[in-house]
Amino acid sequence: MTRHILRLIWNKKRSNALLFLEIFFAFLILFAVFTIVTRYMRMYQSPLGFQTENIWIVHMNLNPVTDTTATQDMKVRLKQELKALPEVESASYSGFVTPISNSSWSTSSDDNGFEISTHMMYGDLDYMETMGINLVQGRWFNESDRDARYQPLIISKKLFDESFKGRNLTDSIYDINGEKRIVGVIDHFKYKGDFAEEVNLSFFYGEDKTLDLPNLHLRVAPGTPAAFEEEVNTLVADITKRNDFRIEHLQTTRESRARQVWIPIIALLSICGFLVINVSMGLFGILWYTISKRRSEIGLRRTLGASKSEITLQFVGEILVVCLGGIILGAIFAVQFPLLNVFPIESINYYLAMIFSAALILILVVSCAFYPSQQAARIHPALALHEE
Amino acid sequence: MILLKDVTKVYQTKTIETTALNNISLEVPTGEFLSIMGPSGCGKSTLLNIMGMIDEPTSGQVAIQGQAVSDYHTKAVARFRNEKLGFIFQSFHLINELPVIDNVELPLIYRRISGKKRREMAQTALEQVGLKNRMKHFPGQLSGGQKQRVAIARAIVGQPNIILADEPTGNLDSVMGNEIMEILLNLNKELGTTIVMVTHDETMARKTHRLVRLFDGSQVL
Repeated sequence: MTRHILRLIWNKKRSNALLFLEIFFAFLILFAVFTIVTRYMRMYQSPLGFQTENIWIVHMNLNPVTDTTATQDMKVRLKQELKALPEVESASYSGFVTPISNSSWSTSSDDNGFEISTHMMYGDLDYMETMGINLVQGRWFNESDRDARYQPLIISKKLFDESFKGRNLTDSIYDINGEKRIVGVIDHFKYKGDFAEEVNLSFFYGEDKTLDLPNLHLRVAPGTPAAFEEEVNTLVADITKRNDFRIEHLQTTRESRARQVWIPIIALLSICGFLVINVSMGLFGILWYTISKRRSEIGLRRTLGASKSEITLQFVGEILVVCLGGIILGAIFAVQFPLLNVFPIESINYYLAMIFSAALILILVVSCAFYPSQQAARIHPALALHEE
Repeated sequence: MILLKDVTKVYQTKTIETTALNNISLEVPTGEFLSIMGPSGCGKSTLLNIMGMIDEPTSGQVAIQGQAVSDYHTKAVARFRNEKLGFIFQSFHLINELPVIDNVELPLIYRRISGKKRREMAQTALEQVGLKNRMKHFPGQLSGGQKQRVAIARAIVGQPNIILADEPTGNLDSVMGNEIMEILLNLNKELGTTIVMVTHDETMARKTHRLVRLFDGSQVL
């Protein structure tokens, strides 16, 4: 039966070409959409690595600095006074690069012939606690690091896995933007947000008084009312004697940034849905037309002993084989993307997109083919033969 | 043996009721070559369809080889048609996209016979109708007579006991019609196949064992 169907399809290659091409192009379009969607979804599903809920960031502008000591003292006082408020659970300073901002800072160093590339962030002693970062090895910065011979460094697990896996990092000195002693490894930290790939990251130590750490992170107690922002605002203005600061709610920034990605994803999926509907209607149309053109053949087959289920199976089989052909050709094109590394996208995204596209098309084809094929099986042989 | 008892077939639409067959009783013994004649619309093809189990009578009984047709369920009817009956049609009903050999193999596909065996059986059948050298041709490349011979090969490939032929020479000229008739007569004579043939051609009908005439759905002879 299989060989019979294959021969029939081959001999009807001209009439099947349209369906074949429709499936081929549908596969490629679905593949493109699913690659993008899969990539973003996989990034979205991977852990962010820090808290955004109840995290407020006071972005301060410390320039121009006329009296460095006074500014340093002001910074320490501001942190202490904010921490003293019952609504503030924790406070810490960070460098110019803050989570889910557009800023980034990276460096690469040659460590005995090995290139170590990493993004850089600065944090003080309380940064891990404030941001809810998970430590997987070693420790966060502590008081002993203030006067240590080597500047301490905390790296992300991703960087550890890429450059240091299998090595014991205890008291190890590596050249990362100058000689540093790695004291700890943190788990995930996607500082660019939910829809970003995790990058190699290193935390450099900074004292809270340092002018290079102008952004004050606050973790407020859950349920803190928005009105508390006014209190923080007043306190910061009083202590800094400036009003050019800005208070950011990290969760709001996170949601806003996510929306910027969700909108095109939803648009793409809508286009995809429209395409799917079109393909379905096309399939239905082709099948109805095919059946009406092949009524006498169906009548003949039924007369010669084909059961209803065999007729249904034949029509579904024919359409499936043509669709599989279109999918296979599409897959041959699609597989070039991961093989040739056309875009800087993880290969798994392409392969998953290929599987999703093929599965969706096959489900669609079987669903669309089943009903008309059943109708074909119900054709009365005597009537069908008589019509010709 | 085919046995029909008081067979009536009525086609009914919302407004019109047409009696295609009216109380037909007929017995076709094994090995007989029976021809059915009558004017257009007298119910010849309907009678043949009922004998071939591709249509059901409104009333009356049909038994083939001693078994009442109404006893069979749908799948068994399909299997019975496949194994015991061969069909030949006026308009050949060949699948144009398949070569001759594949057209002949068609009934065997539904019998779950292996590809190799099918091919052998189809070649034998084509040899019987003198078309072995045309097996890779497509129906569109054949003359009317050759097409009908392919249809005969398809009807006999499964070695059925009964062949039902609906105006097998109707679309052919007299020379080709005679050729087809000779093949059918040989099948009947050499293999003992029961043949029921609907025809408009008196000359062809006279070559068969018995002639039944229908008029307005009733048997007149």
